[in-house]
Amino acid sequence: MDLSFARLRRRVGLAAALLGLAPALLAAPICVIDDAQREVCLQAPAQRIASLSPGATELVFAAGGGERVVAVVAFSDYPPAARALPSVGSHSRLDLERLLSLQPDLAIVWGSGNSAEQIDALEDFGVPVFYLEPENPEGIAQAIERLARLSDSQAVGRQAAEHFRRGMAELAEQYRDAEPVTVFYQVWNKPLMTVNDAHLIGQVIRLCGGRNVFAELPRQIPRIDIEAVLAANPQAILAGGMGEENRYWLTEWRAYPGLQAVQQDNLFFIPPSLVQRPTPRLLEGSRLLCESLETARARR
Amino acid sequence: MHAAETATDRRRAGPLRSLGWLLGLLTLVALGAMTLSVSVGSSALSLVDVLATLSGQGSELQRTLIFELRLPRTLSAFATGGLLAVAGALMQVLLRNPLADPYVLGLSGGAATGALLAMLAGLGGVLVSGSAFAGAFLATLLVFGLAHGSGSWTPSRLLLTGVVVASGWGAIITLMLAVSPAERLPGMLYWLMGDLSYARTPWPALGLLLGVSLLLLPLGRSLNVLARGPLQAAALGVAVRPLEWSIYLIASLLTALAVTSAGSIGFVGLVVPHMLRLLLGNDQRLILPACALSGGILLVLADTLARTLIAPEQLPVGVITALLGVPTFLYLLHRSR
Repeated sequence: MDLSFARLRRRVGLAAALLGLAPALLAAPICVIDDAQREVCLQAPAQRIASLSPGATELVFAAGGGERVVAVVAFSDYPPAARALPSVGSHSRLDLERLLSLQPDLAIVWGSGNSAEQIDALEDFGVPVFYLEPENPEGIAQAIERLARLSDSQAVGRQAAEHFRRGMAELAEQYRDAEPVTVFYQVWNKPLMTVNDAHLIGQVIRLCGGRNVFAELPRQIPRIDIEAVLAANPQAILAGGMGEENRYWLTEWRAYPGLQAVQQDNLFFIPPSLVQRPTPRLLEGSRLLCESLETARARR
Repeated sequence: MHAAETATDRRRAGPLRSLGWLLGLLTLVALGAMTLSVSVGSSALSLVDVLATLSGQGSELQRTLIFELRLPRTLSAFATGGLLAVAGALMQVLLRNPLADPYVLGLSGGAATGALLAMLAGLGGVLVSGSAFAGAFLATLLVFGLAHGSGSWTPSRLLLTGVVVASGWGAIITLMLAVSPAERLPGMLYWLMGDLSYARTPWPALGLLLGVSLLLLPLGRSLNVLARGPLQAAALGVAVRPLEWSIYLIASLLTALAVTSAGSIGFVGLVVPHMLRLLLGNDQRLILPACALSGGILLVLADTLARTLIAPEQLPVGVITALLGVPTFLYLLHRSR
């Protein structure tokens, strides 16, 4: 009796242990579609992630996989924890030897930034490759959700994605019927570059009720001349700058007092890191951008 | 006897008389090219508007467009083109090498290194130009010092020194491009390709172009003799060494100012002097002033196309100078066989 009870307990224990193992043994692989429309399957959640663009690093951290990142590329400066991670070179020229020695079990790559040959080489070495390139706000939210599945941190990821989605939807709601303001967004000063409507920043301008004066140009980041800006005569000029607090690009426009934006003092600085990378920080950048345009609206 | 005298007279007066005609004609073409350049751009202004604005009427926007944007840029293009063509012609005489151009001795490499360093440090505007000029000056002194050295000095020694120093600059430029953050790259690449949107004020370049053209006029005969070879020149009483060093320094100064105002625009300095030689013969008294005007015309036209072909988007002017210059040059070369 005693003996059989002990045997029973042992059997129950064994069964329980088997049951506990079962999910790992029986679980289907984690399969997620990436931004190159390929299905990427992992047998188990990624434990060692190589994040090969500064934007991807931000997204992986937002998705709750930050602790599993083992390699980043140069200029991965956000969140601050990313700065301490080992860098494997610049995004366009990876140090493959260093990268492989860190033994990643997942590489988040940037199709238009990383070198195609190096991505191929990574695949040849058996590292699963996940293409990530969000092209609109919804793409950013989905990127967070998909990365969260790969790193098995769905709870964090879902919350971050929802927070971002809700924030952007509130902005869209708030500025849906706003009076249009014509806008010139300056990406760089020499050569003078702007964005078109398809660019993420162009989409944010539209969301805030702005009308990008160079919306129709064919290239996403066209190079233009000052004359075209004077002829378009925007009501507001938004600019990033070299570094986070450098406003001299804006003061240069004061040389043209005929511009509406200069007359109404609608020259606004938007920190480039908040809008120029497709990351959750775009929400904060979009709020700033919308507020700037609202100020411009009020000054009319 | 009498007939022979007139022939000699005609031969003496010939180049000078044709110089007058030639310069008159080229000046007219230059004025036409500049008018065209000022009349077109990414915002549509009619020729009537442009003429009205030039004569002091026109709206504020039109005045800004013409007087603050198009006219300074057109004049800069003209001056830069002229400087490069004259510098190229001088280098070809100095080195007695048809492949010589203003950049052959590494001057643009020095200037580019200076400019890119300034851009890498996040500086802009005047500091980039100043740094480029300092780099060009350093490159000139370096080649001058190294080629001078001890022992005998020859154009081929100068050429070799210059070419090797130029490769050194090239390596430094590639290194800087390789380690630069991605967002700084477009600015750097456009500077390297040559781009007149960096030009600030045309007056120093125009002043230098005029000054040097006048200064070179009396030197034309000595340059003609030098082009045939230093021994012949020395035998004919030309002070070869001082003349060669002055040419080197003048050409360097011209190139430095051109590179400083518009980056390294290729092709003008190589092709314009050759084109004019094919058309006019190798008389430096004609070639040098004609270079000043023709180089200017080529660059004004090229820059007008660069600004307007896919306006409001902009192309680098260096691409256009090559696209215009290559077929023209090949045609002339083919015809002259």
